[in-house]
Amino acid sequence: MTLSLPDRPGQLLKALEPIAKNGGNIISIVHDRNKVSGEYALVSLIADFPSKESFRETRRELEGIGISVVKSEEVVAKEDLTVIVIGRFNLDKIVGRGLRIIDVELSNPSSEKPCMKLHVEVPKEAVKGFYNLLHELAEKEKALIITPV
Amino acid sequence: MKLLLAGFGFIGKNFIRAVNEKITLLKSVDRDFKVVGVATSQGVLYSSRGLDVDKLSRLEKASQYGEEFEFGGSVKEFLEEGDADIIVVATPTNIETGEPGLTYIRTALKNGVDVVTADKGPLVLEFWELTRLAERNGCYLMYEATVAAALPIFSLYRECLQADRIIRISGILNGTTNYILSKMFFEGTSFELSLKEAQERGYAEKDPSYDIDGIDAACKVVILGNAIMGKKLRFKDVKRRGIRDVTQEAVELAKRSGYAIKLVGVVDDEPEVSPRLVPLRHPLCVHGNLNAVHFETDLAKEITIIGYGAGKETVSAVLNDVLSILKKRVIR
Ligand SMILES: NC(=O)c1ccc[n+]([C@@H]2O[C@H](COP(=O)([O-])OP(=O)(O)OC[C@H]3O[C@@H](n4cnc5c(N)ncnc54)[C@H](OP(=O)(O)O)[C@@H]3O)[C@@H](O)[C@H]2O)c1
Repeated sequence: MTLSLPDRPGQLLKALEPIAKNGGNIISIVHDRNKVSGEYALVSLIADFPSKESFRETRRELEGIGISVVKSEEVVAKEDLTVIVIGRFNLDKIVGRGLRIIDVELSNPSSEKPCMKLHVEVPKEAVKGFYNLLHELAEKEKALIITPV
Repeated sequence: MKLLLAGFGFIGKNFIRAVNEKITLLKSVDRDFKVVGVATSQGVLYSSRGLDVDKLSRLEKASQYGEEFEFGGSVKEFLEEGDADIIVVATPTNIETGEPGLTYIRTALKNGVDVVTADKGPLVLEFWELTRLAERNGCYLMYEATVAAALPIFSLYRECLQADRIIRISGILNGTTNYILSKMFFEGTSFELSLKEAQERGYAEKDPSYDIDGIDAACKVVILGNAIMGKKLRFKDVKRRGIRDVTQEAVELAKRSGYAIKLVGVVDDEPEVSPRLVPLRHPLCVHGNLNAVHFETDLAKEITIIGYGAGKETVSAVLNDVLSILKKRVIR
């Protein structure tokens, strides 16, 4: 994100505070003094946040202390997962939730023990929730979920 | 030191054979090392001068040894009268009562006798009670063979990972299920057929539920959690799902995606035994009746050991425990 800071000493430090407080890990920071526009200096930084929520909270807090965020872009880290389900299972119940289905393979769909391979992309922060949901649904349907180690 | 062996079955007999084979080594550590007794369900074979292990190693039953065998003889008396310094427990596993091993171990420790056990029942039920009892009485309680048999798991942890914090342990802790799943993986056979073959080869019991429902693996998770991660785990705390419902099609689908389905025991905040997808290049991906244990630690990061989780090889662990105790006890 790019922040616009009043061109006074101590402003950068002040801006970093909400980021640290919300668990942001700063990966790079560029304080471009050549791009001073009037009384403001622009700072571009890349940070890693534990969740979307913590990133948004940081933005709110920055604005709260008078630092405007002139540009921001979220890149959500995703995880590629393969799981196998043995038994009946309703895929509708898991779609949405930031999940992208890459590929589904079915074997023996009409038998008593159908088997499905699910290859999905899940936001990193949602992986645990995704597994919990799978196990919950499987328990209801008496299906067996096999997840990666 | 005077050794008493409880249980003269598969492990007991192979232990005696190994003692016979390695007697020079044992005597080099402890000049006075001798096997003074062997207890079975029928009685106790005893000689204060020491039994002839060469003769013993060729017997099917301890009672065939000769008149030194006392039918109805009691291990308890033996331990209470100070006739042994160390007991090797190779009795049948009972995870409901822990007996007869539990009483043997309690009696031994109360009487200052060191313990080496291959029987995991007593540890699954009363790990902390027995550990405290050993501490209070200044005794050693060693149990390397109880988890993944021949693999040196507790020795590795005790000796080589002293500064490491163990974050997670995962493992293929049951050879029978690994044999079945490997057969399904390589030969495309059904679960039922693979189980049948495991039974024919003597890997699985007639009542296979102990293995295939993950009970055996869960027992090992309990011991690992307590002994290595300092947890207060009981059997009921381990979430458990066996391999009965794993189909041939599932194994095939997994294989095409670069995975093998394995029964994996995990020790962390949510201890669990369940079928999992193991990437084919993951160090835990071992086949046949092999076992593998994977440590994740803060300093060493990852360590995996692989080997035989059952069979004659188990006596390696038992004998190593005995030697470790001899080395600590004998003043030269
Ligand atoms: N087999 C393996 O590969 C392996 C690997 C690791 C750990 N273990 C553990 O090692 C232990 C022994 O296994 P195993 O395969 O040797 O079993 P096993 O062949 O059934 O032998 C058990 C022995 O214990 C004896 N026994 C029964 N009740 C007794 C009592 N009250 N007092 C003294 N002895 C008694 C039995 O004698 P009778 O024949 O007279 O009844 C038998 O000789 C088990 O706890 C097992 O889980 C085994």
